[in-house]
Amino acid sequence: MARSVWKGPFVDGYLLKKAETVRSSGRNDIIRTWSRRSTVLPQFVGLTFGVYNGQKFIPVLVTENMIGHKFGEFSPTRTFYGHAADKRARRG
Amino acid sequence: MVEPRICVGVVAGAHGVRGLVRVKSFTEEPRDVAAYGTLFDKAGNRQFNLQVTGSAKGVLLAKLDGVATREAAEALRGVEFYVSRDALPQTEEDEFYHSDLIGLRAELADGKPYGTIRALHEFGAGDMIEILLEGGGVSVLPFTRVIVPTVDIAAGKVIVEPPVETDAREDRKDEEIS
Repeated sequence: MARSVWKGPFVDGYLLKKAETVRSSGRNDIIRTWSRRSTVLPQFVGLTFGVYNGQKFIPVLVTENMIGHKFGEFSPTRTFYGHAADKRARRG
Repeated sequence: MVEPRICVGVVAGAHGVRGLVRVKSFTEEPRDVAAYGTLFDKAGNRQFNLQVTGSAKGVLLAKLDGVATREAAEALRGVEFYVSRDALPQTEEDEFYHSDLIGLRAELADGKPYGTIRALHEFGAGDMIEILLEGGGVSVLPFTRVIVPTVDIAAGKVIVEPPVETDAREDRKDEEIS
């Protein structure tokens, strides 16, 4: 069953507070978090979070189209190292 | 010097009785396994011309020149297909093939060794590089101009500027202590 709308999106309070601190400092620090359950909020856009996947912190640069998803969705806990073949990476 | 080659697929077995093979493709777009011209085996001794005819259960069905029976197709099981690195099309600016980046040395701006690139990932939040650190352990960094300002494939190195990482819970710990 989906979460009740009246509750609003869930986010760990300390994460919200930390995001505000980093944003006001103007630096591009990576915010390391274990809170995979927290929802991506509009005030996180442009910040980079390191989301723990059980082994390491996966950098997640928050963009507008990620709002409403959970942080854990962008930090898979099972990594498959496939063949590189013709795959390309774009430097952002 | 040995020309660099890239593995684009492998024969997973035979399909039917007319010499079709099942090919597991490693390319971004599976059907592109046949898009880069003549394929070679790992040793570079045999050449293959591949024609993709269909797909089934996660593999491609393909016809190889000179393979007309199930026995001949079955004999190819496990053969890996390679293409020359030069057969891949030019990339755009700030676009790199994973195969070019994997294995490059990562150095800090002051020239100190940082590690070796082990893999590149894309989990929906931008490309990132996984670096096997000099002193052991792994670091995953966003693949951005700020953090990876220089990529020098010819020199075999990238320059990285690892960002400062802060713990989201450190403020909470302070509150708990006070």
